[in-house]
Amino acid sequence: MKKKKVQWFWSWVIGSVILRLILLYFPKNLNLSSRPEVSTPLTSLRRLAEGYWLKQSSVSPYAGSMYHGSPLLLTLLGPLTVTRVEGQPDHLLCSLVFVIADVICAMLIRAAGEKLQVAYSSRLQFLGLHNLSENSELLPSGDFAALVYLWNPFTIVACVGLSTSAIENLMVVLSLYGACSRLTPLAAFGWVMATHLSLYPAILIIPVILLLGYGPDAPPRKLFWQRKNLDVGNSTSSDSCSEEEAKNQLKMAHVFSWRLVVLFLFWTLLWSSYVLVLCGIYVQQYGGLQELFKRTYGFILTIQDLSPNIGVLWYFFAEVFDFFRNFFLIVFHGNILLMIAPLALRLNHRPCFLAFVYILISSMLKSYPSVGDSALYLGLLGLFAYELKDMQFSFFLFSGYVGVSLLSPVMHNLWIWRGTGNANFYFATAIAYACFQIILVVESVSAMLNHDRMLTKLYTAKLQNVKS
Amino acid sequence: MGLSVSMLPMKVVLLMLLIFLCYSVAYSSSSSETTMHTNNWAVLVCTSRFWFNYRHMANTLSLYRTVKRLGIPDERIILMLADDMACNARNKYPAQVFNNENHRLNLYGDNVEVDYRGYEVTVENFLRVLTGRHETAVPRSKRLLSDEGSHILLYMTGHGGDEFLKFQDSEELQSHDLADAVKQMKEKCRFKELLIMVDTCQASTLFSQFHSPGVLAIGSSMKGENSYSHHLDSDVGVSVVDRFTFYTLAFFERLNMYDNASLSSLFNSYNPNLLMSTAYYRMDLYQRHLEEVPVTNFFGSVMKTIYTDSAYRSWSNKKIRAAKSKMPLDQSIFDSDGRVLRKSDEEDQFNNLTAEDYIRDSVGQIWSAILSNVNTFESTDTFVCYGLVLMLPLLIFSTWLSSK
Repeated sequence: MKKKKVQWFWSWVIGSVILRLILLYFPKNLNLSSRPEVSTPLTSLRRLAEGYWLKQSSVSPYAGSMYHGSPLLLTLLGPLTVTRVEGQPDHLLCSLVFVIADVICAMLIRAAGEKLQVAYSSRLQFLGLHNLSENSELLPSGDFAALVYLWNPFTIVACVGLSTSAIENLMVVLSLYGACSRLTPLAAFGWVMATHLSLYPAILIIPVILLLGYGPDAPPRKLFWQRKNLDVGNSTSSDSCSEEEAKNQLKMAHVFSWRLVVLFLFWTLLWSSYVLVLCGIYVQQYGGLQELFKRTYGFILTIQDLSPNIGVLWYFFAEVFDFFRNFFLIVFHGNILLMIAPLALRLNHRPCFLAFVYILISSMLKSYPSVGDSALYLGLLGLFAYELKDMQFSFFLFSGYVGVSLLSPVMHNLWIWRGTGNANFYFATAIAYACFQIILVVESVSAMLNHDRMLTKLYTAKLQNVKS
Repeated sequence: MGLSVSMLPMKVVLLMLLIFLCYSVAYSSSSSETTMHTNNWAVLVCTSRFWFNYRHMANTLSLYRTVKRLGIPDERIILMLADDMACNARNKYPAQVFNNENHRLNLYGDNVEVDYRGYEVTVENFLRVLTGRHETAVPRSKRLLSDEGSHILLYMTGHGGDEFLKFQDSEELQSHDLADAVKQMKEKCRFKELLIMVDTCQASTLFSQFHSPGVLAIGSSMKGENSYSHHLDSDVGVSVVDRFTFYTLAFFERLNMYDNASLSSLFNSYNPNLLMSTAYYRMDLYQRHLEEVPVTNFFGSVMKTIYTDSAYRSWSNKKIRAAKSKMPLDQSIFDSDGRVLRKSDEEDQFNNLTAEDYIRDSVGQIWSAILSNVNTFESTDTFVCYGLVLMLPLLIFSTWLSSK
């Protein structure tokens, strides 16, 4: 049964690549890169081209406040924006880079999903919940999540609309995959690059450390302690081989592997100093690293550009008085920071899901959200399809997302082009989008916690059965 | 006892600071030798009205034309004409002003920008222009926006006498007022060098009270002498040019922008017999030798261009400018066609300055070592590109290592 999806998996992947290519070569100009939902001041390729042109004219690429991204992206994608191939659409090479990034991201999600599934089912088996582990293996969540990521309209639109969020998503998934497979250099590289490209993945350091320390998602740790107590009680129940395995499982469950975490921090330092040296050399003539940080991270944190997007901050900061601006910047960014600790405490046994929740919250409350950010967490949502299958309001959310993604361009058109609407029309869809994201995060977390409670109930029932 | 011994290095430091301060004060006070010549300005004033003073207008306009031809743009010329001759009802040739009876040259061409006209030419406005003390509403085109490196040509013509110059037939500018205004200008660092040229009767008395350094003055006649007009144009009906200005123009018509004719050749070209007066010049306040000063220092605008291949470093100019002003002028070399080529080791001096700013501690030293290695590549872009591409095999290798 697991093989059923695998046969068609690669054809679906190739199909998604073909769809992207069709959309790229579409005869009529789809103009996706000018949609505010797709390209933000941070991810727009047009701005990157402008920054590259400024650099070629021996001016700082950050002059003129067009480009606010990383100099490394400028080195990578800049020359590609100017090379033109005869008879092909504009920016073809950049689009191909984004398509490749999407495919690699999907592959990484699939591999991470496989690792997660293997670890999870082995934990379940260790706990004795064999039928649950068989059920979880029915659905290959890795493949499912990869296909969701590739065929998500948001991802396709972000890729065809030439948004650099494809590369940012790739880095985030790379770090999660590296953490799932306990490969510290990979995880460190992914985290450093993701933070460097856009500031918000910095909060993913907590789930990555938890992943490296405790291992992939597992049932709550107290179940393992109960099992340990049970084993101590029944020392004659199993032979030596499985006893060794049991002891290993116990060790893995509640011992925090500091060695991996220290290695991870070491690699983080290494990669970040490498990146900083490269960036410093690149901008040495234009103000140095201080100027770089002011223009990239400073721009993200101080929300200097108030052009409309699918987030909620632009409308608010257009109205706030200058006197209170700093206060509200702290409030909005603190909103993300304050959610980190409680979620980490509650979900520390499921670090991958914690990462998903963090990504969802940051993509909702970040300064310049776009649909590329939603593409990432909707893809990762597929990884937890088994645990979240009992999620409430799933159909409501699905229709909500579809409705918002259809209405938002309409409202934008009404506001900007026809002039028969105003900013409130567009902001209404942005608020609705934020509401749906909030409902999604609340329902998914509660569904996961319900799943945990169900596991606990099943396990204690089983224990009672064994005892009695 | 122990206190005085430990205070000794402090005393030495304080003494050195004091000496350094003295040097810097002395250095900055003689800055007129070391400030760079930045631009040229011209203030051309015609002070008399009425149709029979046509020649004063023609004097001023001919000098305006000369100065523009030799390179000073309109934004650095303040032209003050007390009356309108070109469109005067008595002008047989409307909108045309000539300075010669052969009518070869129309001075009032299609490109004349008069800043102060008619009744705006007053002693008060003239002194305001010189000292820069205007009302806030005065536009920039009517201001003398010179800085401490400017060379200013001040040409005044009209009716004058012993220690005065008549404005508009109703008021006078006195020589000590002019001297005070020039003294204010010097204190406010509004010029580096000033050449005053006066074409009136008893002209040289007008600058007898000057005390400010850097001022060179020439007048068309001495005390007790009159300055005469050159010839009468019987067609227009009035005299069209004064002698002093006529011979000045005759000198300049032979020149173009790149000629190296010196001020001494200009001053020596005045023949008292032809002028019918003695052109007297005062150079005791002017430090340079007149043979070394080209006339284009005042009458034209030949800018020193610094040719460099490197990219324009806008952000580091703030640090370099402090050092630039102390750079002496005589490091420049004159090329054959009059442009200045700066020596290439000055470029290295600038590089050393920015490098020195980085070296603050050991991290800065490592940084400069990296930079010097980087500069061997033809551009930093390729280096960063290589670095970026190198990250991938490094990543693969490290992952492979850690997975073992």
